[in-house]
Amino acid sequence: MANTEASLKEATTSIDGSIGAALVDYTSGMALGTIGGGKDFDLTVAAAGNTDVVRAKVRTMELLGLKDEIEDILITLGSQYHLIRLLKGRGKNGLFLYLALDKSRANLAMARHQLNRIENDLEV
Amino acid sequence: MTAEADVLGELRRLRACLPQVTGALAASIDGLVLAQETAGNEAEGVAALTAAALGVAQRLTDTTGQGGFRELLVRGERGYVATYAAGASAVLTLMAEPRTNVGRLHLEARRSSARIGELVDGALDRLENA
Repeated sequence: MANTEASLKEATTSIDGSIGAALVDYTSGMALGTIGGGKDFDLTVAAAGNTDVVRAKVRTMELLGLKDEIEDILITLGSQYHLIRLLKGRGKNGLFLYLALDKSRANLAMARHQLNRIENDLEV
Repeated sequence: MTAEADVLGELRRLRACLPQVTGALAASIDGLVLAQETAGNEAEGVAALTAAALGVAQRLTDTTGQGGFRELLVRGERGYVATYAAGASAVLTLMAEPRTNVGRLHLEARRSSARIGELVDGALDRLENA
């Protein structure tokens, strides 16, 4: 079991091409923790903005009558991948892990697999 | 254009980009309404209460050594009330729904309060120099 800080650190060190990561509470849009990013990539802005992305998708599924849950959301940019993984389990509902990757260095399949492992180890 | 009109314009812009905000007002730190964008006539009462809360918040940040007042967030059962310092003589107070994205509320409101602060402080400077 790993805490928030350790899990985010694990995400950015073990996943190739990682630019930054955040653990976000999408009931409030606030980040529980962030790592990486920088002056030109503000992860608190990303946390708030991607909260709207997650909420919009949840709402769309409600409107479509889909009784299912979101496992992850992938956003592909010209030079980056953004991965959003919704957490499940005791004490982890309402949270998502957000990971920004450099497209040229990242392996998407591996990144998803590792993010899954990090989620399972995470204890909030 | 007077500062009031610019401040009101800023409040409208803020409400347009944050639909979960149900009311917005700019007040002087002594509790008088400068501009409001709210349904109903609660603005004056809210501005006066904001001034009272501001007094306590300022003393609280002072005594705990946290420096000057920046913002205050109150969460009720049916929503949020948030107050942000806007320059040296004004504050921005927002009411928002309980499901509000607080992260975004902070981001947008901090930007707006800085802008309102410039407008109000600028207008006061012009008055003094006139």
